[in-house]
Amino acid sequence: MELIGENVNVMVTKIGTAMKERDAKTIQDLAVAEAEAGMDYLDINLGPARKGGAELMEWMVKTIQEVVDLPLYLDTTNVEAIEAGLRVYKNKRGKAVINSIMARPERMEAELPLAKKYDAGFVALLWGPEGMPRDEAERGVLATELMNKAAEYGIPNEDVWIDPIVTPVTSQQDQVKSMIEFMKMFRDLQEMAPGLKSTCGLSNVSNGAPKDLRPILNQTYLLILEKYGMASAIVDAFDEDLKTFARGERQDITNVVRGVVSGEEPDSGSLPKEQVDYVKTAKILLGHSLYSDSWLQL
Amino acid sequence: MAFETPKITYTGKIKSIAIGKGDQAILLGDESSYPFHLFEGEMPNTPRIAMEVYDVAPEDWAEAALKPFTGVTEDPVAWAKRNVEEYKADMVCLHLISTDPNGLDRPADEAAQTAKKVADAVDVPLIVWGVDNDDKDAEVLRKVAEVCEGKHLIIGPVVEGNYKQVGAGAIGYKHTAIASTPIDINLAKQLNILLGNLGVPDEQIIVDPTTGGLGYGIEYTYSVMERIRMAALTQQDERLQFPMICNLAREVWKTKEAKLTAEEAPTMGDPEKRGILMEGVTAVVLLLAGADILVMRHPEAVKLVREMIGELMAAA
Repeated sequence: MELIGENVNVMVTKIGTAMKERDAKTIQDLAVAEAEAGMDYLDINLGPARKGGAELMEWMVKTIQEVVDLPLYLDTTNVEAIEAGLRVYKNKRGKAVINSIMARPERMEAELPLAKKYDAGFVALLWGPEGMPRDEAERGVLATELMNKAAEYGIPNEDVWIDPIVTPVTSQQDQVKSMIEFMKMFRDLQEMAPGLKSTCGLSNVSNGAPKDLRPILNQTYLLILEKYGMASAIVDAFDEDLKTFARGERQDITNVVRGVVSGEEPDSGSLPKEQVDYVKTAKILLGHSLYSDSWLQL
Repeated sequence: MAFETPKITYTGKIKSIAIGKGDQAILLGDESSYPFHLFEGEMPNTPRIAMEVYDVAPEDWAEAALKPFTGVTEDPVAWAKRNVEEYKADMVCLHLISTDPNGLDRPADEAAQTAKKVADAVDVPLIVWGVDNDDKDAEVLRKVAEVCEGKHLIIGPVVEGNYKQVGAGAIGYKHTAIASTPIDINLAKQLNILLGNLGVPDEQIIVDPTTGGLGYGIEYTYSVMERIRMAALTQQDERLQFPMICNLAREVWKTKEAKLTAEEAPTMGDPEKRGILMEGVTAVVLLLAGADILVMRHPEAVKLVREMIGELMAAA
């Protein structure tokens, strides 16, 4: 699975300040550290960036590309800032990716031409005119709308990164399951549009869960989504445990989780405690049992 | 080919609890089907109606709600007796309004003595409800639990912020705890787990999903209760297989619509009938969602709902 480092983010106080003060060293040190931590892409998150967003994105792209060759995700809702970043972006080891374009007519019309003009990819966010899709079917409709629109603008399939929207299992368990159901259809979409990519904001799944239990939720969801062809995830570049899962180094856990996904009922008595915990977590994420903060104790 | 009614296969069952003292004890729960789906399973215990008593005279009640209690609102014992003897309440729910730190802030001892007097005065089971203040309720309900040992009360609300203190009182003096969460199935399950881990026996837990009044969020309560029963009965969710209590009267009667007089709202009909019907409809909706105890106020609404329960139970 390809990993997009999420750490260059205006919401992180230190980074936000560095952006404001144009403190190149802080930004560059972090970008280099993320690259050394094994990221495939770096997300540059400016937030809404209503004031001075264009200048900031231009400076960020130039500053980071001085020290890192990795391709960048340009992450803001400010269209001018996106264009400013794309204009100065140099394709060294891959195209820039616009993060993100919603399935709303006005957003697609404003931003898809940019993807075409600057030969960039884009995250196709499954967020429609009426907001969050209610189930996997609505996700499917929004995905095909974005894919059709991209085709109209002549954007190739491999530049479209479908993001089915990860929701917190603590409050929207049905949506977590519905995203999995959507991923089951994803291969059909790829048959229609060979090369189609996918991505997700993985850690949102554990938002609101007790802090010490967030990693197991993130790791388990990653394994489930990967089984259905999820190609990438936006993650904390320095989460070493998660990376071992993303690199396929935990075959034992991967096997039991995939077993649960395939409908097997593993014999909990014979499994080591660690594997039992992953089985329980997979059952929560698949909606087999209702979430509660103490799910591992049941 | 003969028509066959489609039926749901249930894999779980609601736990059974007993409240009240001796041969006056009432059994609750034990359902093996959705509410009143008597063609699919059993509902061996009839849902019950508890009528409210305040420990001090209420100040903001609608005229229509006060009228049936003329002469007893200053005396919780007399009020409780009227509810039982005249209005045939299955249970009494004593609201310890006077303990509210933002109001009279009366001490726990005094409130516990009132609870004891009421418990002694009536044979039916007693519910004792706090003031939704975690710390004060912890103190008051602990004391109530102790003073009323042997009465098998229902005490609450027990919330995540005070479940240890109140839960310990329920364990020590054998009362049933009202596990109360804010219209959220995941939090409801979590609190039941915590109470279980603390050592509260399953037969001493009843769930309060938090009730919205008609027109004020009842649909959210309905959905959560419906989901709780689905998880309990069809998904073997053991930590949700508890009876449920709905404290609905205060939600109904605090609304603008229940309080407006005929002069203030000439187009909204007779205020008495209006309030009674709002309470009755709210209660029936909650019954259909799976309530085992309804906490109600107006005797006429109680009568309507009791008839409804009788007819639904007889439909088998």
